[in-house]
Amino acid sequence: MALPTPLRASVTPAELELIASEQLVEIVPLVAMERTAFISGAYGPLRPPTKCKVPIWMATNLKLKKKCRVVPPDWLNVEFLEGRLTQETSEAGFSEMPFRFAEVAKVLLDVAPDDFPNPDKIRSLLKDIREARQAKSREGLSKLDHSELSLPNLCSMEINEIRPFFIRAMGVLTDLVKEAQPQQDAP
Amino acid sequence: MEDDYYSIESILAENQKIQCTFKIDVPDMGHLDGGNERDIKALSKVQVPLWMAYILIYSDYADFTIPPPFSARVRSALNAEARSVRLSNLVGQAGLWYGFGRMIMRLLNDDVAKEMSDVLVKTFRDRLPEVIDQAQHFASVHASSADSGVGGDNATMLFREGLDGTERELFALAQDSTRRTKRWYETSERGRRS
Repeated sequence: MALPTPLRASVTPAELELIASEQLVEIVPLVAMERTAFISGAYGPLRPPTKCKVPIWMATNLKLKKKCRVVPPDWLNVEFLEGRLTQETSEAGFSEMPFRFAEVAKVLLDVAPDDFPNPDKIRSLLKDIREARQAKSREGLSKLDHSELSLPNLCSMEINEIRPFFIRAMGVLTDLVKEAQPQQDAP
Repeated sequence: MEDDYYSIESILAENQKIQCTFKIDVPDMGHLDGGNERDIKALSKVQVPLWMAYILIYSDYADFTIPPPFSARVRSALNAEARSVRLSNLVGQAGLWYGFGRMIMRLLNDDVAKEMSDVLVKTFRDRLPEVIDQAQHFASVHASSADSGVGGDNATMLFREGLDGTERELFALAQDSTRRTKRWYETSERGRRS
């Protein structure tokens, strides 16, 4: 294969971000626009005081041209994240987060920090949550065996980060575990 | 590590020598041992590479002894603290301890092979978290700044030097992926978007 080794097992974070950008987010448009057809679907019409759902890539584009305000998703605020952080630090399992929360949060906070009430606090909460979850996926490593590993509620960015070495390690374990049927009679 | 015909790792793992005791006389093959003898006599002990040992053992021309990297002494050391054993010393630089072990395991009978497999699996699982921890640590150290105190303490450095080829590969994988993710988290691409 022509791909470099690290890219064979997983996609890059930037690619995940691209995928996440297809998700819809609510915006308050500041310009009027008729319903318009794009390759991924038709969005609009934009009528200024009314909220409207558009894909994140379109929201970022409009936002950078100062033609809309982003309405933060209901999970991207200080109270919700604080609740999740408490869960994350007090319970053993991963708490339930939107599957692509890391990508969506980063993109929105990057382009529209002025639409969030307390962006720095949100950022630091997200960082804490991420670190708490990382510690847990490290625990998962010690439970690794050759056939399966269950880490429910792990999110796309986290899966992507641990995927290359988890599958390699499981592959090695598969090789090392003695097969049930004897192989001695087939030289 | 896997049995792929084209796998260099597999070829390297097979290149380790094991000690065989011949059960029969083999004429004209004395050069295998590097000596001046013309023939291999029955009951003589010869070091042969693993790839050659297969056919000798399966054809019942020779017996083999479990090689030193998997001796009882090494096993008890692994049992005590897997992380303090330097696997790379046992099989030579960039050696493949796990790959070698797995090939020996194939030559053994059921019970002994099971025991061998348990040793390999337990060692691997005991060492894995430390391998990944260090890989992630180094990924963040290099990504953030040129910290001069990178080396860490002596024990972790010894551990890194003692990694076997398979573990080195995992180390590199983990380091790469952590570094990539970290870079993504830390860069703001506002400039690119506008």
